Amino acid sequence: MRQAFERMLVYVDGSEGSILAARLAAVLASQTHAELHALAVVNTRALSDLVQAHIFLEAEREEYRRDMDEDATRYLRHATEMGKRLGVYVEGHSVSGSIAAAIKNKALEIGADLLVMGPPPQIRSRRDALYDEVETAMRTAPCSVLVARDEERIEELYEQLS
Amino acid sequence: MALIELLNERAIKVPLMARDKNGVIRELVDVLAAAYGLDNAENVFLSVLDREAQGSTGLSDGIAVPHGKTDAVPNILLAVGTAPDGVQFDAIDGQPSRLFFLMVAPPEKTGPHIAALAEIARLSRQSALCSALASAKSASEIMALMKGD
Repeated sequence: MRQAFERMLVYVDGSEGSILAARLAAVLASQTHAELHALAVVNTRALSDLVQAHIFLEAEREEYRRDMDEDATRYLRHATEMGKRLGVYVEGHSVSGSIAAAIKNKALEIGADLLVMGPPPQIRSRRDALYDEVETAMRTAPCSVLVARDEERIEELYEQLS
Repeated sequence: MALIELLNERAIKVPLMARDKNGVIRELVDVLAAAYGLDNAENVFLSVLDREAQGSTGLSDGIAVPHGKTDAVPNILLAVGTAPDGVQFDAIDGQPSRLFFLMVAPPEKTGPHIAALAEIARLSRQSALCSALASAKSASEIMALMKGD
């Protein structure tokens, strides 16, 4: 019989929500023996928007791009270490582009059957609802989506298994 | 991080008193320092000036987005100000600037910093909204407009 979830993808961006999501994904992978992939996205679309809008200079784009590449590597290393504590191998992926499209494409590419994410930011304006990339990723994901909440419970599960 | 999460009514000044570019940046940094109790406002000011020296952040249609990266702030901070009569900010269209978004961030917050600036870039393309923001009579009116109320 097939497992409910065989290949999971967790999106990591350094936020507290995404760290919680990585912990939950590691717990689930440990309990279900599903493959676990972590994805960090270097948001080059936003950088291009900023250059196009004349807010950023070309040199600034390069500088921030390097910073974002380093951040992505750090987030994936953290996710890998979290998995390791539970004996779970985490395959890290760093891609560039827009966040929502990158998540969708990676989920399709690896055949993910579950996307694990932190909670989207609180929507406090109509504009937020239109433009939030995490929200968009949840709406456009090609598979089931699990939103990590209840920090206490997730931490407890994680500590029990580690 | 949604732009609205960075907005703080105490970090909005309507109208600004300054009448030149450096004065506007100084005044907005002072607004931030007062709103967030910054110890080292001078370094914040210098980080924005450094960036501005490489090329103006005055966009077209009266909007300017001075910004900088500095260890002198603990988080991404945003100040908003208006100058109804316009201030010469070396904007790309040569026109005076009337609406200012000053954003500073610590070096390790690159991702959210980019996302927030990109949101301002999108907002800058909404001319009716920007015009309403530049004409706002109070900080609370700016908050309401930004929330889409």
